[in-house]
Amino acid sequence: MILRIMTEASHNTNAARGGGAAPFTAAGVRRGAVQALPLAASVLVYGMVFGLLAKTAAMSFAEAMLMSTFVYSGSAQVVAVSAMESGRIPTGAAAFAVMTTIVLLNARYLLYGAALHPWLGRVSTLQAYATLVVLGDGNWVLSMKAAQEGEKDAGYVFGSGVVMFVPWLMGTTIGMLAGAFAANPRSLGLDFMLVAFSAALMSGLVKGRSDVAVLLSASVAAIAADRLLPAGLAVLTAAAAGGLTAWLRFKTVEGA
Amino acid sequence: MTVRPEFWMFLGLAAVASLFCRFGGFWLMHYIAITPRLEAALKATPIAVMAGIVAPAALRGSWPEWIGLAAVVAVMRLMKNDLAAAIAGVGVVALARSGQLLG
Repeated sequence: MILRIMTEASHNTNAARGGGAAPFTAAGVRRGAVQALPLAASVLVYGMVFGLLAKTAAMSFAEAMLMSTFVYSGSAQVVAVSAMESGRIPTGAAAFAVMTTIVLLNARYLLYGAALHPWLGRVSTLQAYATLVVLGDGNWVLSMKAAQEGEKDAGYVFGSGVVMFVPWLMGTTIGMLAGAFAANPRSLGLDFMLVAFSAALMSGLVKGRSDVAVLLSASVAAIAADRLLPAGLAVLTAAAAGGLTAWLRFKTVEGA
Repeated sequence: MTVRPEFWMFLGLAAVASLFCRFGGFWLMHYIAITPRLEAALKATPIAVMAGIVAPAALRGSWPEWIGLAAVVAVMRLMKNDLAAAIAGVGVVALARSGQLLG
């Protein structure tokens, strides 16, 4: 799988060099890759956490790697692993329940893909889908930040995605290997990594009054959803509330 | 290095669910025109998603998580570095939790 992605990367950059798809260039891939490097370290740590969990759920190394490759989502994989904790693999209704939970947990990717359409709608089908396959929370936020700063090359999204996808697989490997020796990940604060990282990115993104309005409405919505709705819906509810706030405030912003 | 036979089915369902979310939004936008207003709403989603991760965790947590979040924001203000801020936050949480055990 890593090989395939790498081949796709070189294929894409070659196509870009050929001048066919203008907004997806090798230079863009490189820019994204370099700027995502600091994030790669945190993906590695998060991947290790999954590896440790997979080990404790008695998954084989091959199973853990297959899951990290084809599902590639921390929260979704944690749910899948927790469904296997007894050492048995869910089938039938239990498997469909896990599938539904994954769709709900990852529903935010529907928004990510929608937000990326202005970039990916202009590049080749292979480039667009390769980018979506390696897309993650971190590199999406990074790309949206770059877009605000004038980045227009869809290669940026792909490059930053690959640089985070590879350490995810490496982290899974290390976590599986370390599984036997690991201390309690909670005592090391590792379960806090995603929250801390989100808070860091968020405080870097919030600039104007509109951002504060989005932040507040999303927080309130998330807390309400966390209390009232089934697990996994908080992020989606927050995204919808934040988007709606920006939608409703749009005229005000324009008139200011 | 073995894969249990029934794992393939489970993996397939999980992968389809994950890929549906990855591709679905992109497909949907083929049929919807992006107005400046819709663009503003989509641009707001990163902050909203982050808030959706942080707010419930902050509410469910206790003082180790709270001072951890304060550390994240403080380091972010000082150093403007995402990873440094996140690692500082995790370190503070780990320290505070060990203190909690001792206390």
